[in-house]
Amino acid sequence: MEKKINKLVEEALQELGKASKLNDLMVLKAKYLGKKSQFNDFMRELKDLPNNEKPKVGKLVNIGKNKINHKIEEMKEKIEADKINQKLKEETIDVTLPGKKIAQGKKHIFTQTIEEIEDIFVGLGYEIKEGPEIEEDKYNFEMLNLPKDHPARDMQDSLYISEEILLRTHTSPVQVRSLLENADKKPVKIISPGRVYRKDDDDQTHSHQFGQVEALVVDKKTSLSDLKGTLLLAAQKLFGEERQIRLRPSYFPFTEPSVEVDVSCYKCNGTGCSMCKNTGWIEILGAGMVNNNVLKACGYDPNEFQGFAIGFGVERIAMLRHGIDDIRLLYTNDLRFNSQF
Amino acid sequence: MKISLNWLNDYLTEEINYKNLVEKFNLMSQEVEGLYPLVDASKLIIGYVEKCENHENADKLKVCQVNVGDKTLQIICGAPNVDKGQKVIVALPGAVLPGNFKIKKAKIRDVISNGMICSLAELGVADFEKKETGIYVLDDNAEVGKDPLKYMGLDDQVLELDLTANRPDLLSMRGIAYDVKAMLDVEIKFNKPQVKRVKPEHEINIFTQTKDASVYYGQLIKDIKIKPSPYWLRSRLLASGIRPVNNVVDITNYVMLEYSQPLHAFDFKKLNSKKIIVRKANKNETIITLDEVKRKLLETDIVITDGEKPIAIAGVMGGFETEVDENTDSILLESAIFDPISVRKTSKRLALKSESSSRFEKGINHELTKEALDRACELLVEFADAKNCGGPSFFNNARKTNQQFELSFSKLKEVTGYDFEKNVVKEILDRLDFEYKLKDDIFVVNVPARRLGFESYQDIVEEIVRINGYDKIDLTLPITPTQGKLTKKQQFKRYLRTFFTGLGFYETNTYSLTDKTNATKYDLEKLSLVKIMNPITTDREYLRHSLIPALTDVLVYNKSRKINDILLFEIGRRYTFEEEVELISGLLHGRYNYSLWQKEYNNVDFYLAKGVIESLLRDLKLLDYDFRAPKQKLPNMHPGIVSEIFIGEEKIGWLGKIHPEVEKQLEVKDTYVFELELDKIFTPYQKINVNYQDIVKYPSVNRDIALVVDKDILAQDLIKTVKEISNNSLKTVDIFDVYQGDKLEENKKSIALSLIFENKEKTLETEEIDTMVNRIVNALTEKHKAKLRR
Ligand SMILES: [Zn+2]
Repeated sequence: MEKKINKLVEEALQELGKASKLNDLMVLKAKYLGKKSQFNDFMRELKDLPNNEKPKVGKLVNIGKNKINHKIEEMKEKIEADKINQKLKEETIDVTLPGKKIAQGKKHIFTQTIEEIEDIFVGLGYEIKEGPEIEEDKYNFEMLNLPKDHPARDMQDSLYISEEILLRTHTSPVQVRSLLENADKKPVKIISPGRVYRKDDDDQTHSHQFGQVEALVVDKKTSLSDLKGTLLLAAQKLFGEERQIRLRPSYFPFTEPSVEVDVSCYKCNGTGCSMCKNTGWIEILGAGMVNNNVLKACGYDPNEFQGFAIGFGVERIAMLRHGIDDIRLLYTNDLRFNSQF
Repeated sequence: MKISLNWLNDYLTEEINYKNLVEKFNLMSQEVEGLYPLVDASKLIIGYVEKCENHENADKLKVCQVNVGDKTLQIICGAPNVDKGQKVIVALPGAVLPGNFKIKKAKIRDVISNGMICSLAELGVADFEKKETGIYVLDDNAEVGKDPLKYMGLDDQVLELDLTANRPDLLSMRGIAYDVKAMLDVEIKFNKPQVKRVKPEHEINIFTQTKDASVYYGQLIKDIKIKPSPYWLRSRLLASGIRPVNNVVDITNYVMLEYSQPLHAFDFKKLNSKKIIVRKANKNETIITLDEVKRKLLETDIVITDGEKPIAIAGVMGGFETEVDENTDSILLESAIFDPISVRKTSKRLALKSESSSRFEKGINHELTKEALDRACELLVEFADAKNCGGPSFFNNARKTNQQFELSFSKLKEVTGYDFEKNVVKEILDRLDFEYKLKDDIFVVNVPARRLGFESYQDIVEEIVRINGYDKIDLTLPITPTQGKLTKKQQFKRYLRTFFTGLGFYETNTYSLTDKTNATKYDLEKLSLVKIMNPITTDREYLRHSLIPALTDVLVYNKSRKINDILLFEIGRRYTFEEEVELISGLLHGRYNYSLWQKEYNNVDFYLAKGVIESLLRDLKLLDYDFRAPKQKLPNMHPGIVSEIFIGEEKIGWLGKIHPEVEKQLEVKDTYVFELELDKIFTPYQKINVNYQDIVKYPSVNRDIALVVDKDILAQDLIKTVKEISNNSLKTVDIFDVYQGDKLEENKKSIALSLIFENKEKTLETEEIDTMVNRIVNALTEKHKAKLRR
């Protein structure tokens, strides 16, 4: 009896191991454990055994049944897993085929540059002010210490709409307007970004339309050294933390003293290269202490107030930072250009 | 300004390092554009042509034996004027001439040549001589074996400065010397001109009828001889960028460069009177100027007259009739000051800008007007054989320049943020030759007349800071506490840029100025156009009313470069006399989010453009938007594929397809554009307050209905009716199918609506939903004659 049971279990396990379909398993289950199965016969035979053998054989039968049931479960899982694997195999795709062409946009480098300068100054506590592009001569020139017959007006030949109205040649009139608006003479700390216009023929280095960001601080204490510190900080943010700056005398009617600001060459680190024309320095912008005549025109007593102004050329900064050699590229909108930044 | 360093050295008492000079100019004064030799050549020597014979194998070549001092060299020369007995400039083998032209020992048609005999052009100074016919022949005093450049004064270095408008003092060599003194802390010296006035006479009467001429000295100089200037003088003019002409003209130019005082010489014989009257030009008066052009004068022009007619336009150009020529033997020399603004206007109008006029425009130091004339006399005596220099006739109404400024020591420190010491300031003012007194804490500074244009103590601060050095100033930041921020509108613009780039739109950057056609091309309202009075070209004559023409230009540009799928946007302004309105405009063309191998082509269409704008407005919570067919035709847009966009009852913009005719002109198809007014979105957006709404816990129920309606019924009207009739259990209504065709009667279409119901408080019962759907269908039937499609 014992032998018979063991043999049957052995046989069943082997046959089950070969099953490859769920259906086969069901048939085998019926064959070995069903009502007409040999195990059922064993159970019946069990009754006829002597009492002392009953528990032993009974146990053996149960173990055998469990083994078979266990095997059936095991095979079921295996067959199901195989089925899933098969399905996954069939679903496998060529992952190297191209993805869908999702439209991709970019902010223009002009905007990116302005926003970067804005963020630097917002971080330093500056407000952003904007103003009209069609401007009065009064705000664009006269109140900025550029009276009608000032020779420096030649420096920025302008596009006029009438005798008194023109396209602003810089964003400085926004500063004038901001100072005039500030009736209670609170400290002014602003930057004014925007488009400006000059009567220039468009070529590699000139554009009749270009962008400016001007900074202005007017209060009772702000000094030339504050200007210098601000310039260094801005230059380092825009051109790299290791940059140094140097100031050279210059002339703008609305500032006194006026300076040109050079940044140490970021290509050669100041040792001299073609980028910096072997000087180690690259001119980036103009700045200066606000001219007393401007303060007076805007209702500020120069004995009490002082401050500085900085003027960034948006295109110049962008061109220097990205090695762009033609300003017209910033207005052509060749998408092969626009997509690069 | 080009500076001859040989000339500058005349004023200095010690040798200076040029590299240091360049650096000091850059950091303390004016930007240096360059420092370069006047003649960039090496290994030149003065030679004497001992023999000059024809070349056996070449007609036009001569074989010369040239003594160069220690030896005689055989040199082949092709110049027609080479001859025995000449002293010439020889470039020895190994010499390098301008343009990196290397001289080597060579065989020319079997004959050896040991160098080259040079022309002036080969040395890069063709202008040294009025006319050149070949090699340059030196005068008899030239010493064989010596350096010809040194002998001619061409051994000079040129320092080129880019002058700013506030430093007219640097338009004179003396001014340059003063600045060099201050920068390098060296001594300078000037010689007072020595004029022997043989027989003082005042033959000329000079007066003025206009205040615009403040000073006028007229000096009669007789017995002069016109001839070329000496070598050194010509070289210095060349170094300064001025072409030598003859001794008289050269001397007037030389003195102008020295003092920044323009001089003008009239041929005294051609002058038919002994009277000089300075006045404003009369109406319709004309003059033929030196360049032989007849000029029409205005009543604002200052003219020099002989008492009757103009003989020169003051400060701008002399008259042709009184021009100095080779036969001139007496001149009337003018040294005067004219009103800067008047000269500027006249020279600008006549397009006659010159070294003289630009100096008058920037201002002349009246303290040197007479001295400049004396200096010219001195030079004319020496180099034009002048014998008779009478005393000058003149008027001088110049007011003494008073440029006195008070600068307190504490203000200086406050403005610069630098802890100056009093002694340092004193030393700097001394170096600048500014007179000053120190009263307690205050420097009272008298700025000399040679430094015109000082306006306040700020100019003194600048002088002190630049000579002390900008590098010494500390690095600090303003301490004023302020709050930095973007305005709400600026944040909004950044949001818009992020929104559109996120959807795949490229931002463009285009010009505001355009031509008349493009300025108004998509302008329905016919707004006032802003025109530029003095445009650069007619292409840039008007300020635009729409960004669309610029966007279509960008489309065309990129299409022609084989870029076919194009989404563009720009935030820019529309300009009228009354206002500048910010617009956000876009263009869609080609395919959008496509996949070729999957056969998904997704060409952009009206509904993509509309979807973009809807998505924007939904994102901004501006849900009461509305797309309406325009009541009026939009210019240059497809009349059937165009819509105006509203928020509430406010029109915020429009979108549509460009008119096929316009597309044909542009050679592009299927282009969709939109233009929205930024403020009309921003203003209602500002009022939106977001309050959290509980998320509904009960399931929503979906019901679809298909309706047959007349073809011209608008989808939007159906939706409106559905919304009007429903209670708040209707969550959304959407259209999921539109059909027109065989299965329907002509002039009919079928529209399928998807309705979603939900209730915050409970699960909706089937009966409730049925009732609602019935009510909706009835309303649609009643209002739009819709029939339920089974
Ligand atoms: Zn470099």
